[in-house]
Amino acid sequence: MTNFAQLFFDAASLGGLYAMAALGIALIFGVMNLVNFAHGEYIAFCVFALIVPSTDAVAVMLLGRAPALILVPLILALGAAIAIASEHAVFRHLRRADPVAMMISSFALGFVIRNALLAAYGGRPKAISLWPDLNTPVRIAGAEVPLLQLIVILTTLLVVAGLAALLKKTRLGLEMRAAAENFTMARLLGVKANVVITGAFALSGALAAAVALIMATQTGVADVRMGGQVMLVAFIATVIGGLGSLPGAVAAGFLIGAASVLLQAFLPLDARPFRDAFLYTLVIVCLLVRPQGLFVAASAKPRV
Amino acid sequence: MSKLGVFDISVRYGKVPAISDLTFHLEEGERVFISGPNGAGKSSFLNAICGKVPTSHGRIEMDGDLLTGRSPEAIARLGLSMVPEGREIFGSLTVEENLRVGTGIRQDAQAIETDIEEIFAAFPILGERRRAAAGALSGGQQQMLAIGRALMTNPKLMMVDEPSLGLAPKIVDQVYDTLAALQEERGLTLLIVEQSSLRAARVGGRMVLMRGGRIVGEGNAADMADRDALAQAYFGNSHPEPEAVA
Amino acid sequence: MSSQHAQHRLAAYSTPLILSAILLAFVAFVVILGDKALARTAAETLVRVTLVVGLWIFVGNSGVISFGHAGYMAIGAYCSAWLTLKPQSKALFLPDLPPWLMDAQWPVLPAAIASGLLAALVALLSGAAILRLSGIAASIATFAFLAIVNTVYSNWEGVTGATSSVVGLTRYVDHWVALAWAVAAIVAANLYANSASGLALRATREDEVAAKASGIDMYRHRLWSLVISAFFTGISGALLGHSIGVLNPDSFYLGITFISLAMLVVGGIGSLSGAVIGVLLLSLLIELLVRAERGITIGATQFALPSGSQEILIGVAMIFVLILRPAGLTGGREFKLRLTLPRIPLSQEPTSTN
Repeated sequence: MTNFAQLFFDAASLGGLYAMAALGIALIFGVMNLVNFAHGEYIAFCVFALIVPSTDAVAVMLLGRAPALILVPLILALGAAIAIASEHAVFRHLRRADPVAMMISSFALGFVIRNALLAAYGGRPKAISLWPDLNTPVRIAGAEVPLLQLIVILTTLLVVAGLAALLKKTRLGLEMRAAAENFTMARLLGVKANVVITGAFALSGALAAAVALIMATQTGVADVRMGGQVMLVAFIATVIGGLGSLPGAVAAGFLIGAASVLLQAFLPLDARPFRDAFLYTLVIVCLLVRPQGLFVAASAKPRV
Repeated sequence: MSKLGVFDISVRYGKVPAISDLTFHLEEGERVFISGPNGAGKSSFLNAICGKVPTSHGRIEMDGDLLTGRSPEAIARLGLSMVPEGREIFGSLTVEENLRVGTGIRQDAQAIETDIEEIFAAFPILGERRRAAAGALSGGQQQMLAIGRALMTNPKLMMVDEPSLGLAPKIVDQVYDTLAALQEERGLTLLIVEQSSLRAARVGGRMVLMRGGRIVGEGNAADMADRDALAQAYFGNSHPEPEAVA
Repeated sequence: MSSQHAQHRLAAYSTPLILSAILLAFVAFVVILGDKALARTAAETLVRVTLVVGLWIFVGNSGVISFGHAGYMAIGAYCSAWLTLKPQSKALFLPDLPPWLMDAQWPVLPAAIASGLLAALVALLSGAAILRLSGIAASIATFAFLAIVNTVYSNWEGVTGATSSVVGLTRYVDHWVALAWAVAAIVAANLYANSASGLALRATREDEVAAKASGIDMYRHRLWSLVISAFFTGISGALLGHSIGVLNPDSFYLGITFISLAMLVVGGIGSLSGAVIGVLLLSLLIELLVRAERGITIGATQFALPSGSQEILIGVAMIFVLILRPAGLTGGREFKLRLTLPRIPLSQEPTSTN
């Protein structure tokens, strides 16, 4: 019983992280058919914003010293800012380009951000301590659960609910949903392309920042590569969920988190190092069974 | 000054010309039907006016404002609304949400609510299903929704691309009656693509015949319908030679 | 008409000639300069030509972006290591190899070909599943394939040495060996592109639905092109191993995936010439920037770019190319000789301008 409760919390918190990252990718894909490979670097950028730029091994907190009440909105705003800036600098000029050129340029943009971070902070991962108290375990249903896991699960639920409310109840949300379904038609009805796209990038960047805060607290490390791993899983989640479908992205994020935790728990010991190989095999199987996405009506045609 | 002035425009897709040196005027409050065979350039013509496709030559003006070179959203904000071919409603949004997408360009919050109720009064079935996903509506209902959605931007000029496509004749009549009533009520100017001169004659208005990306003839819809009927009776040809019409 | 067709074919076959001549001129230039470091860079560049041309055989003809080719590269590289390393060092570093592989000590050329064949075999098996998909879903599946290969090779301690590097590979790949393989890849790519299968596949790239309707078996042609593509990609992996002498699973992961796709897209994904030009130009740019980072002395003053700026500038340059020329520098056109006076009608050229 203990074991299962533990597994549940592990799966839910990992899945929540993936779900948030996947949402960030799906939002942008929905409005401009861009698979944004720079998303992982938004995450890394936000993590490194916590510490003072230097190539020393010891990290000195910069923004990370601010109280949470200031820090959280500040980092979210920073994430939104870098996403909006990248749209202005790069993607705005590629709106008429085909998705492949856009995808590769997002790859290139990520490469630029990553190397800028490397130049400013050096290549070695740095230990950072952001809200270390959150890693103290609490007992729930017989399981030892770090407080942070609960916060992650709660945050995911809040973020998903908040995003749903925003999309459902606000003018911008309505325009974004309309644009995601048929951009040209939305524009013919006076919906401003720039507003919708900027809005999508801002939300996506803020989601990346939320992921960054959680990862920084959870791992206690700042590493340029940390965003890339999450981004790739999230990217896969958006495809499995049905590209452009936000509920699908969330569901697939949780699904991959759960699959990953379950494989880790139940694979024979010898096979455990190969967990990701099993995970990605499952991904291929999912795609083969439902190429249009697991959570999209079977009749819907793939968007790309 | 006419409502809409199209001066010598050309549209091409790659190397293929879709519209060549076309000039056209539309007066305030007028109702004009555009007819012509497939590939005549009717949809390209509407798409060029609303900013969906760029023109390679010429200019388009509405109320003296230059439309050429503006984005589709900027043109919509000047008071032009479009009901595209195939309706293109937002299937995942509810009926009411579809109506509200285009209201972002309006400041009159009060009037928006009354307009929505008016549209539900004109098309009761939409009112009944206001919270249902628009994708679940039938073809005829979707056509009504597309018209209602276009009206919600409070346009001065509305363009409708083949409203009769894929609809039962009875529904088509209903759609046209509603369009005519709405035009009366709101002082709209209407530009409609319609293949059948008979249907155009039933509603009444001016009719323009397009072929090969040019306007090849025009006249009163009723006269055109008579000639078409005559031509059909004698030659079995529903599209008379342009000379006969002009 | 038929003589025009023949001329057209002839013009198409002139492409590999021109490309090979460019590469030969490149090597000759390096040899004349006699700079050792430059010769090494030239060899690495030519290995990349083999890689990117191999990648183009699939991506350029099918239009499906593959993130999985670094996986075929890894398979080829390790295969060549298994076949050519001294049995003593294998016993030390790779103790779990089966006995016949442990004792194998093949000459380098058959080992390279075997590496390509193994990669091609894996491509046949993986492609049989993955290519049932199309568009983004197919691309994701190729990525999943890469992740599987990387996970396996990073953890299979006794067979691949896991994350500790395999060392001691003979460094036989100089600029001449690399040139020979690059030319072979170019010729094969051109032959495939002009074969019935290649032409059919490119028709599906333009319009999938119409091609299907006209009875083209897209799946079979895609699989066929992937197998040929993986053969040369596998060989490029073996060549890379034997040019730097060290193997590590992470040399065949996201970094090389990105750089090879970038070269392809910058050159122009629609044409073989684009693939080759992309490699040459980006490699040249990288080399220049690396040197600039080390410092350039002009007269009495020395300039040096701050370290790390090389990667940043490469990324920025790529973004500029994509913004200014989304179809790549060649815009999908091939270098061709106009062989005879009567003009060959333009409309017959297999060009893609998007």
